[in-house]
Amino acid sequence: MKTLGNDGMSRKELREKAKIIAKEHEYLPYMIERYLALWGEEETMQFIEACDQPIKTSIRMNTLRAEPGQVIERLQNKGVELEKIPWLSHGYYADFEGHSTPGAFLEHMLGFYYVQGVPSMTTVEVLDPKPDETVFDLAAAPGGKTTHIAQKMQNSGKVIAIEMDRKRIASLESNILRCGVTNAIVLRGDAKKVEKLGLEPDKILLDAPCSGEGLIPLDPTRKTSKSMADIRFCATREDELLDAAVNVLAPGGTIVYSTCSIAPEENEYIVDDILKRHPELKVVPIPLEFGTEGYSEPFGVSLNESLKLAKRFLPHLHGSEGFFICKMIKEEST
Amino acid sequence: MIPELLDPIEWESIVSSIDREFGQGIAKNLLGKLTPIALVDRNWRNIYLIPTSWMNMLFEEAPSGFDYHLLGKQLGVVTKDRFRLSLQILPDLAQMTSKILTVSKQGAESFTYGRSILKESVVYLDFNLQRNQRVLVMDTDFHCLGIASLALDANRVGRLKPDDLVGKNLVDIGWFIRRLG
Repeated sequence: MKTLGNDGMSRKELREKAKIIAKEHEYLPYMIERYLALWGEEETMQFIEACDQPIKTSIRMNTLRAEPGQVIERLQNKGVELEKIPWLSHGYYADFEGHSTPGAFLEHMLGFYYVQGVPSMTTVEVLDPKPDETVFDLAAAPGGKTTHIAQKMQNSGKVIAIEMDRKRIASLESNILRCGVTNAIVLRGDAKKVEKLGLEPDKILLDAPCSGEGLIPLDPTRKTSKSMADIRFCATREDELLDAAVNVLAPGGTIVYSTCSIAPEENEYIVDDILKRHPELKVVPIPLEFGTEGYSEPFGVSLNESLKLAKRFLPHLHGSEGFFICKMIKEEST
Repeated sequence: MIPELLDPIEWESIVSSIDREFGQGIAKNLLGKLTPIALVDRNWRNIYLIPTSWMNMLFEEAPSGFDYHLLGKQLGVVTKDRFRLSLQILPDLAQMTSKILTVSKQGAESFTYGRSILKESVVYLDFNLQRNQRVLVMDTDFHCLGIASLALDANRVGRLKPDDLVGKNLVDIGWFIRRLG
């Protein structure tokens, strides 16, 4: 009998177990089935429990607008408790307990900080944009990563922020203006057609629109709102976006692919496929201490070994939303 | 939106509007080594300042299927022949002009919620400023909160009651939050 998952359950056993857990915790059964296959029962239960816990609020100090030390002092004087996030240059856990929302503070309106999830900040740290580079931010709204990229570039060079959704462009623009970003070009259009820009960026961030399976701790409706067909639909789009991005990346350039999904179908499978189609592309180590390694054999499917160099955030292991980050370089010889 | 170069007449009109309100030569200082361009959206002309090195990309290799929405530093917007400054440029402008109204902590908070400025909130206002003058509203830490229009000559402020109006709120940084609902 074929066995699946870390607990050596048969497919039938796994399905039955998934149905029971799904019913008890109000998930769709296919999701639990996949978690059991990926992690086994104990870790699946830890995941479910972690998804019911709140995620700590985090902020990024915006050095384009103010000295971080001054902002820390101002916020602490207002009773906000801050705790530095070890692997992030300007990221802090922020406890605004007892206050109105973090966005209502004067310091926020002045652009002194950006309320941003830890994994989102981490993607830009991994990309590591430098002054005077040309950087693409594909699927850029609402602008947390665009403004972070500009901050790392000290407002030099150019960040080309592409967003398809007209309504979301309003928030992207608003955040760019608030944060004092002056090296951005915002374009509305389909990032799959990015080759029409005729540019070869030094770096690309593709935080791809995804099924959001990692966001269950922030949005419990995600337990039941997406089917396996939705994941497949997202995976197709992610594959097309990543392919388009790799095609325009300058030789020697760096691309970071990320999603807020924990589904291997939207993450490791996508990168594995792109590595097969683009031999010039290599997954490279991420020199920051966070998360756990990517999967090279999810659901028993053998993928490129280098996918272990990618990183995952998982709610039950890292107290954050689920996230996938993979850093790749396009070799010069191409 | 498609980028357009500004014709000298339009740029002169913007320069004159900024300099008239905030002091001679201010527009030139704001421009620095950048180039002004416009993104046109129906009756609005959004004015941006960009590095000259971006010009080739914008005008010689215009991409099909993409629509420009923001470029570089936003200077302001022209609507119905009237120029309004962008919130983004105000911190730069604050370093260059003396047309400033400083408000108390309470006044600052109230202003960022869209309210106007009352006498009780005024910490500093240049004695020589006149009614309808646009002024940058600053908090006591010299952070720019927006623009107000003086409701009366500054030399009359001393005679007002605490709850009398001094400056009408034209735009404030709370817009960043209110805009997104």
